[in-house]
Amino acid sequence: MIARSTLKLAAIMALAISLLSLAAMGLQYRLVKSRLTEAATAALSADLAGYSALYQQRRIIALRQAITDRTSTGGEMLLLQDRNGKRLAGTETTWPASIQARDPTASYDDFSGAEAQRFTHNGTEWLGVARILPGGFPLLVARSLEPVDATLASLRKGMAALGIVLLAAGALIGTLAAKSVMTRISRLNSLADQVASGDLAARLPGPRSPDEFGLLETHVHAMLDRIENLNRATHRLSDTIAHELRTPLNRMMQKLAQIEGQPALAADLRAEMRRAIRVFDSLLDISRAEADQGSGGGLLPVDLSAVTAEVWDLYEPLAEDKGLRCTLHSTPDLHILGDRNLIAQMLSNLIDNAIKYCTAGDTLTLTLSQHPDHHRLTLADTGPGLPPDLRDDAFERFTRATRDKDRGIQGHGLGLALVRAIAARHGAKLTLPEVQKGLTVEMLWPKLAT
Amino acid sequence: MTTAPDRILIIEDDPETAAAIAHEVQALGCAATIATTLPEGITLCAQDFRVIVLDRMLPGGDGVEAIARMRSTGAQAMILVLSALGRAANRVEGLEKGADDYLPKPFEPEELRARLRALLRRATMQGQDNDLLVFGALEIRMKARTVHINRSHVAVSPKEFELITYFAQNAGQVVTRMQLLENVWHLHFDPGTNVVDVHVGRLRRKLEDAGSHAIQTARGEGYVFAPLPAP
Repeated sequence: MIARSTLKLAAIMALAISLLSLAAMGLQYRLVKSRLTEAATAALSADLAGYSALYQQRRIIALRQAITDRTSTGGEMLLLQDRNGKRLAGTETTWPASIQARDPTASYDDFSGAEAQRFTHNGTEWLGVARILPGGFPLLVARSLEPVDATLASLRKGMAALGIVLLAAGALIGTLAAKSVMTRISRLNSLADQVASGDLAARLPGPRSPDEFGLLETHVHAMLDRIENLNRATHRLSDTIAHELRTPLNRMMQKLAQIEGQPALAADLRAEMRRAIRVFDSLLDISRAEADQGSGGGLLPVDLSAVTAEVWDLYEPLAEDKGLRCTLHSTPDLHILGDRNLIAQMLSNLIDNAIKYCTAGDTLTLTLSQHPDHHRLTLADTGPGLPPDLRDDAFERFTRATRDKDRGIQGHGLGLALVRAIAARHGAKLTLPEVQKGLTVEMLWPKLAT
Repeated sequence: MTTAPDRILIIEDDPETAAAIAHEVQALGCAATIATTLPEGITLCAQDFRVIVLDRMLPGGDGVEAIARMRSTGAQAMILVLSALGRAANRVEGLEKGADDYLPKPFEPEELRARLRALLRRATMQGQDNDLLVFGALEIRMKARTVHINRSHVAVSPKEFELITYFAQNAGQVVTRMQLLENVWHLHFDPGTNVVDVHVGRLRRKLEDAGSHAIQTARGEGYVFAPLPAP
């Protein structure tokens, strides 16, 4: 992931540098090309001007003589024919097929290079003027563009080489720059990973650099300090609540033991006290599980199948005594990262809840099975199910169905809230699938990475 | 010949609670020594106490955090943590950090007595490794994991075997439901329903069908395993 973004950044930088340089070189190339073409045209015009002067003095004879004298030099193509197409003088024996001699558009005497055309002959580029002189004498005057092409070609070669060098240099510089940025980002990322895995006290070692990265690190540290303080405060608060609530309750309990003669009332009061404590414990357990949610801290490998079987064994006789038909389908040795006690508490809440609402003849089925990317645990009963208006917030704290209060079913509406908090603590997905009858609770547990 | 009573150290900062604990300790025929701060408790703990009753949120620190230090100063006593930090997570933490038992406040006097008795007994029973536990007509074979009454085999489930073994180890004494849940099922939370009663009831019926009335209910407290008929 990190390596990929480094590469991407380096590639972008290398490409940007190379493209800019290539664009600059391209402009240069066009300039050189037009200058060279202009120079060739000028040379051609000079030639033509010379021949034009001779033609004006002594017509074809002078022209023929001049051409015959010039034939020795290369890089030129000259040809003068008579009206039957017979060669009078020139470097060529026959008229090249790729250029057509035209009737002059300007005056007969003026051989200017303005109407020069490009043509290819014997594999080389030429710039030339071809026209029919008065009396039907075709004349061809051309200069080879080969030197121009050769210069441009070597220029292109140089540019290509430079482009490759630039690309390599850009890639190198880009990699170095990207690496230094990425190293500092990955420092922060590894810190975030450490924190996510539950180590709230993790900090980056070493001094901050005096730039934006240093500032970012300082901000992240300040945030972590705050989270750590809040977390500590939450834990301290729950300890303080426990202490301040249980110490006076404890004194009451001791005094209750001294009251004689009313055992039923004393037992009632004790039960009331136990219930009050259970409510507080549930609330504290919920907030603790929620505070620890998402952090893997404190979780150990747990045999989910074993815990499930233990809690099931604990409750099965109770359910059977109530006349429920109970079935456990469990795949053995399914492991997760978890807190055994919390999982047991959660399963106990769920099963206890199901038994509480079902009546004789109902069935209760617990299924634990393995799937490609999770372990699936479902508890299905054929009891009365949830009232439709309660479905959406069944897992909220203190949610109780009015029919329960009417029927006198005891509860404080925290059981399912604790189930949800414990599931979230383990990263398990908790849902209530739509079923024909009763209530089905489904949980998808993340597998223990092996 | 009279032997000196067993000594129990109480490290507790709330005087009322300390007095209540001392009362239960004396009811068991033991001698109570009270320390009101953690440092005081740590200096005393290496004496010949059989059991230390340890609070957690004490002046001077958390009792559970001090267990390792107490052990390193040579304390041999069984440690019972008695604390207002009574949630399941707190209990598991205390046991993991070396406590032998953990009782949350508020506690019922009977529960504390049962815990103290179990710890006193464990301190004497340690090192004994009997394969055969015999209670009159009732025999428990530990290795074979079988129960026999009047020489005939009584079929019990694995959990029921663990249950009867725990009863047998505390024979003659009150065993509470919370103790059973913690020691037989290894669960450290209050399930709210008396789910344990159903299991004890089943085991009890099996034993009664085979002719033994070993398990009796101690009203309001728990159960007593008393296989020998009172003379």
